[in-house]
Amino acid sequence: MDTYSYNKYHTMGEIYQWMSQISEEYAEVVTQHFLGMTYEARPMYYLKISQPSSDPKKIFWMDCGIHVREWITPAFCQWFVKEILQNHKDDSRISRLLTNLDLYVLPVLNIDGYIYTWTTNRLWRKSRSSHNNGTCFGSDLNRNFNESWCGVGASKDCKNSKFCGTGSVSEPETKAVSSFVESKKDNILCFLTMHSYGQLILTPYGHTKNKSSNHEELIQVGQKAANALKAKYGTNYRVGSSADILYALSGSSKDWARDIGIPFSFTFELRDNGTHGFTLPEVQIQPTCEETMEAVVSILDDVHEKYWPLSGAGTVASGTMVLSLLLPFAGLL
Amino acid sequence: MQPRRQPSPAPPPPPPPPALRPGAPLLALLLLLSLRGAAAVPEEPGQSQDAGPSRGLLQQAARAALHFFNFRAGSPSALRVLAAVQEGRAWVNPKEGCKVDLVFSTERYKAEESTFQEGEEGLGKCSARVFFKNQKPRPAINVTCTRLFEKKKQQQEDYLLYKQMKRLKAPLDGVSIPDSHGHIDPSLRPVWDLAFLGSSYVMWEKTTQSLHYYLAQLTGVKQWKTDDDEIDFDYTVLLHEFSTQEIIPCRIHLVWYPGKQLKVKYHCQELQTPEASGTEEGSAVAPTKLSNF
Repeated sequence: MDTYSYNKYHTMGEIYQWMSQISEEYAEVVTQHFLGMTYEARPMYYLKISQPSSDPKKIFWMDCGIHVREWITPAFCQWFVKEILQNHKDDSRISRLLTNLDLYVLPVLNIDGYIYTWTTNRLWRKSRSSHNNGTCFGSDLNRNFNESWCGVGASKDCKNSKFCGTGSVSEPETKAVSSFVESKKDNILCFLTMHSYGQLILTPYGHTKNKSSNHEELIQVGQKAANALKAKYGTNYRVGSSADILYALSGSSKDWARDIGIPFSFTFELRDNGTHGFTLPEVQIQPTCEETMEAVVSILDDVHEKYWPLSGAGTVASGTMVLSLLLPFAGLL
Repeated sequence: MQPRRQPSPAPPPPPPPPALRPGAPLLALLLLLSLRGAAAVPEEPGQSQDAGPSRGLLQQAARAALHFFNFRAGSPSALRVLAAVQEGRAWVNPKEGCKVDLVFSTERYKAEESTFQEGEEGLGKCSARVFFKNQKPRPAINVTCTRLFEKKKQQQEDYLLYKQMKRLKAPLDGVSIPDSHGHIDPSLRPVWDLAFLGSSYVMWEKTTQSLHYYLAQLTGVKQWKTDDDEIDFDYTVLLHEFSTQEIIPCRIHLVWYPGKQLKVKYHCQELQTPEASGTEEGSAVAPTKLSNF
């Protein structure tokens, strides 16, 4: 894949081709899998990066291109896969992650819509399902998940950009992702969904100002990721729940993922802050992807550290481990 | 005086004034919200800074003030964007509207495709009073900013842009700036800067406590007249409204000459919100006659 340009935006045809080529090139760790069919009958594929092992693995999920004008997101998913594959043998950080985690990446969730942004309307957002006798098109896939469906921040009007669909999980794309993630939910530790723009790392929830049970932890992990991102090129990201720092929204994938039990669930809003908005110039693909990579790997590290804590090299165990050993005895003091 | 609100399941509504007597007219609610260091990281883990209405409101006010500042400055070479809100206070009167005093920093608007998006020139600083009025269609703004560029240099830059524009020949049909990949042809940058300047007027008028806009694309040029002294520019844009995520087509007609007050007329498609009342039009009524309209 030396000839594939990760610094350019690619058509869906090119992305399909890239997926099969990269799973061939790195066949020992990558496999391509069918997820479902889009409204316009196109196949949805995700890539599974998995270090062969007899041990069971937990799962990291990341999807891009759910809102199709956000072109930087499929670019990031491709970049992420490339980075992991090119470095999985030499980079100890990455190979450690792969000992216990399988990475599932869906480079383009809303394929019909993505193609539409190339052929017809660069600023389209939704899917391309047909409604009202072919007079109105598209559901907002990130309002279509089964989580307080069509409540706040969503619309029952098809003409609206935030149209929630004709019912919860009415769209085939949502159904494909939902069914799959649901079937694996006991093993999924982290669910990331990528958007642009705004430079935010968002935690649950959007449909309420209530916070998830692990909110503090999510903020901490998110903030650490934002700091890692900023260290690269100085880009500022804010961290908070969607309802607090973005706007109210219901039926989102991130909220739904958290509520079916996936502990680490984040939405990223990538560059920029409005200067270029959705039409982020190609020259910014590389720096955006590099800094975002730092953030995502930081989250992966935190997830890994939590479930497979580093055993100390003989001497002192980590502080939290010591505490968790002592706490049962605290009552005796 | 920093009443920091603790995270809570639902934000408490602003405290009502102490009850005077039943039936007393509702007096202005004095809501003193002080926000320092808007880009601050939460100090204790787990206590995320409550970024509810107060922070959002200050951001809205800053945006409105900046759009107005850019319009009034009338300088396509000296456009500014928001860097950070530094401090602010707000007063809410449910009958009249909402008044915001604030200080914010700005950086130079750079539409060119630099890899580093943070401004490398110094930050400018502005202080503003913004009044989001319930009845009036546009926020009333008083804003002053420190000078980012030396006045003479700014005039020279504007005049350079003007000369570049004079050399550009219509037709500019089928123009889409930027293109799908975010690219703007360097020869067309002056057109984009001028379009952005005119759009600033529109975005100033349309910004409210909850709605804010970005210029997404220049989609067409109906007229580009440079044979008179002034540049007469009639064009269509797409604005991106952030809270609704809608794309709003607008037609804008402006007349510009370096150093003279910009004249703008526009017509946008209605926004699909419950409050939308029809097409919105507006124009800058300048003291000089609008001979080209």
